[in-house]
Amino acid sequence: MALSAAYVSREAATNLWRNRLMTAAAVLTVAVSLALVGSALLLKQGASKATHLWQNGVQTIVWVQPAAGPAQTDAIQAQLRQSPYVKVCDYKSQAYDYNEAKIVLPPDELAATAQEQYPASFRCVLNDPSQAPAVYQAFHGKPGVFDVKYPGQAIKTMQGVIRVLQWVFLTVAVVLLLSASVLILNTIRMAIFARRREVSVMKLVGATNWFIRLPFMAEGLVQGLLGAGVAVLVVLALYWGIGLNQTNAAASTNNIITQMSLSGWEVFGTCLLVSIVGVGVGVIGSAFAVRRFLDV
Amino acid sequence: MITFQNVTKTYKGSTVALKDCSVEIDKGEFVFLVGPSGSGKTTFIRLLLREESPDSGRIWEAGKEIGNLPKWRIPYLRRNIGCVFQDFRLLPNKTVFENVAFALEVIGRPKHVIASQVPQVLDLVGLTKKRNNLPGELSGGEQQRVAVARAFVNRPLILLADEPTGNLDPTTSLGIMRLLDRINRTGTTVIIATHDAGMVNQMRRRVIELDRGILIRDQAHGVYDLDGETQAAGAGSPTGALVEQFPTAAPEGEVSGTGATPNASDPNVSDQTMARP
Ligand SMILES: Nc1ncnc2c1ncn2[C@@H]1O[C@H](COP(=O)(O)OP(=O)(O)OP(=O)(O)O)[C@@H](O)[C@H]1O
Ligand SMILES: [Mg+2]
Repeated sequence: MALSAAYVSREAATNLWRNRLMTAAAVLTVAVSLALVGSALLLKQGASKATHLWQNGVQTIVWVQPAAGPAQTDAIQAQLRQSPYVKVCDYKSQAYDYNEAKIVLPPDELAATAQEQYPASFRCVLNDPSQAPAVYQAFHGKPGVFDVKYPGQAIKTMQGVIRVLQWVFLTVAVVLLLSASVLILNTIRMAIFARRREVSVMKLVGATNWFIRLPFMAEGLVQGLLGAGVAVLVVLALYWGIGLNQTNAAASTNNIITQMSLSGWEVFGTCLLVSIVGVGVGVIGSAFAVRRFLDV
Repeated sequence: MITFQNVTKTYKGSTVALKDCSVEIDKGEFVFLVGPSGSGKTTFIRLLLREESPDSGRIWEAGKEIGNLPKWRIPYLRRNIGCVFQDFRLLPNKTVFENVAFALEVIGRPKHVIASQVPQVLDLVGLTKKRNNLPGELSGGEQQRVAVARAFVNRPLILLADEPTGNLDPTTSLGIMRLLDRINRTGTTVIIATHDAGMVNQMRRRVIELDRGILIRDQAHGVYDLDGETQAAGAGSPTGALVEQFPTAAPEGEVSGTGATPNASDPNVSDQTMARP
């Protein structure tokens, strides 16, 4: 049958305009909650990206005791080669470390030390950066090993903070999304009430159930979409505004925000998801209203 | 066209609204449904509209059994049935034309069909000149004509009317009845639930009487109630002169059941029901 898009959109538009105050409230609530969802998603993606960078960028270092002889050093190297966790290791001599110290330390402190006091080291890249503790367990306290260092704690703290933030965002967003659905449900309920005469005549003359329902469902969908549209704008503003996009990333690599930089595709995906959730909230809210109050 | 077979309907927490009711109505018949308040007339009509389904018994309508029709088929059933109510049920913010056109719009009829059908039916009910008026600008009789036009615009097989003249004065009522009579002559089966004794007595069409849900009378050229028959037929009654305006109405009716013995399984009643042409 000819359930024309023109009919459905005209009816939905009329209803939206008639209830414009409630519509605005529903749309804003959807927008705020979806903006939070979007930000949480950006944060999550950025965090996982940054964590990856940190873990890969900072090596696990096995320091050799300055007093250790070449035999012990060779033994450590052999063990590192056999270790299943280690991908490659780069040997840095005592001279290398001394040279590094020359750059970092003030001349008077440097003068108090000798090259022999500096430890040689193996700078290792692991197959999986998260296995650094296992490497620590395997080599710490072994003969000839002075110490094993890996960047575990700092990253863990960072991840923890980001995880908590993410959950706070998502919890608030879910609560807001629920209230948004209820607001949409209520606007649709009012629209149904305002049109109950029409609906009863439609039933009487044999309009199909979907013909009666669809304009109301479309109304909820539009509210969800409008809210999602505003939320997408917020997400994009965040992306460009605080420099999560990659053009800034090249400028400075030390900034946490640039380390969290995302590609356009990832942001597009986030916006898409936000839109889908918006449509879902609108459709679910109106579907409930239609089921509960329309009785067709 | 319509067959009720031992139909019983009880509303929740209520007495029986229709009890073991069997009746057959052929295509093109004109039937009055009478009986005191609460006797089950509206229930009869709601069953035909499939707004309710029977507790037991079976109902056929337009060749289909409708008692257990799946929900999604109900709209298609209703497209074959027009319905008119005491309170008109027009949409106050739509013009006469739009009210009638609405019935075609919402069942997806194309624009050109609407453009040709609506003026035709407005002409039939005599409201061509008022096509752009709102219902609030019309008299009760005119509003009911719009309702009849809306019920008939899709050329239904059956036209149901629940007290269509309940809010109208006798002269206006007569106009509506003549309109329904004219529609009946196009072959549409017409069923009218009414308390309008004068009208029933004038028209002398088939009368089905209900009492507390039981079919107690089915009379071919019947009157409103048997006690009042002589009075209604008497000359000089205010509506007596109107009889002449219905050439098809037969002056005398055969009586098959009596109000004194309310018994739906009375063999006379069913015999006559079955023997109808
Ligand atoms: N929706 C309902 N729920 C419960 N009981 C109902 C309902 N509709 C009707 N009834 C009961 O069913 C019985 C028949 O009612 P119905 O409306 O069919 O009578 P009626 O002949 O149309 O009366 P009236 O002439 O006053 O319109 C009555 O006892 C009434 O109280
Ligand atoms: Mg009634």
